[in-house]
Amino acid sequence: MANQNGSVYGLTLLCPILNDEKASPSHDLQIRDYLSKLTADSTSPFAIAPGTHLARIVVMDDVVYVGMPACEEHLKSKYLVFESNLDGDLDTYLTGLATTIPEHIDAIWSHCTGYPGCADKAKFVQYMKNCQIETTFFFAAVNDKSVPQTLTALQTQRAVAQFIAEHQGISPAETQRDFIEFLKVLDAAPPLKPAMNAPSRDIKTGGRNE
Amino acid sequence: MSNINGKVYAMNAITPMRPWKTWILRLVFFLLGALKSKQQDLINLSFIQFARWVIIPRNSFPFFGGTQERDSMKYDYLLFFSNFNGTWNQYIDAFSAVLSDGLNLIWRWSEKFPGSVPVTPFKDYIARVQFDTDYYYTAYPEATANDVKSAHIVQQALDNFRGQATTGTPEQFQHAYLEFLLTVQAHLGDTGEAPLVS
Repeated sequence: MANQNGSVYGLTLLCPILNDEKASPSHDLQIRDYLSKLTADSTSPFAIAPGTHLARIVVMDDVVYVGMPACEEHLKSKYLVFESNLDGDLDTYLTGLATTIPEHIDAIWSHCTGYPGCADKAKFVQYMKNCQIETTFFFAAVNDKSVPQTLTALQTQRAVAQFIAEHQGISPAETQRDFIEFLKVLDAAPPLKPAMNAPSRDIKTGGRNE
Repeated sequence: MSNINGKVYAMNAITPMRPWKTWILRLVFFLLGALKSKQQDLINLSFIQFARWVIIPRNSFPFFGGTQERDSMKYDYLLFFSNFNGTWNQYIDAFSAVLSDGLNLIWRWSEKFPGSVPVTPFKDYIARVQFDTDYYYTAYPEATANDVKSAHIVQQALDNFRGQATTGTPEQFQHAYLEFLLTVQAHLGDTGEAPLVS
């Protein structure tokens, strides 16, 4: 199945946006307005809900006309496109969205035709699946690590670099003692939160490419 | 509009295809998926974190009835979503220079595709079929695809090394520590705030 690459799942949704001439501002603009105020840092809804590596939400106004001799045609609805690269199982992921960030999901998707709301999770999951388009080809640079595993690895990389830089030219016994202590501190460190900026590394590595 | 978040750029593109050509493209993707060696250039470029191609058959736009009118199109549509590191120009230039054959194989079935070389008409085409992202999230905005790969190499090396680090004599530790350094030394680049790009 092309939606899956290793342990990563590629979800693509096309949800028709309500086409109500009386709505002012129009539903697509209301979605765009809401999205423009949504944070993308560690307070982002997708940082709070589990399992999202990268995700985007796009209002697709129409298809593109590429010029003659192609035929010009237009969509009758605008579509809300949701593209997510997520860990594991789709049902678990969608239920996680409905459980942890229902207010954001409802605020965005309530402008879409047929949207049942997050309150009834079974209906919500079914609606999202009805909007799903099968991915034809899915590429993932790293396809066997979860979001927590990647965040932990990035934290480890940063700490190891710092340790190595601070322990050059030090005796083996002292380095070993410090390394054992370093492992304890690293193991006890709180995990990096999704989309959180890491603290700046307190060493200057220099070099033209840094 | 927010095509950029940290070190990642979100590209969306949509191109029309005559329905009979769609089946050829599906075969191309099937072969690309089956023959991992054909993905090697894409892997080696190493600045794409995730990318996908999605074919929407002309009568398969989701329909829920009510006030919605059904979309029935003349063309099938090929959607392309990419999450890449670097600028738009760097990405298109690299694609054109390194993956031109692969790109042509995928997009030649789309209407008016000019070919990926020369790059100027190719860029014009991409600019025409691209549409902007309204909201973009990444769990690790300070890390590139290479940073993520490197971080997992360091994590694996540390997991392997930690047993030796705590049990041996200082001399044994020193030997194992140097081996650990050799494994990770090329994977310690600093992550951090992205440079300003456009």
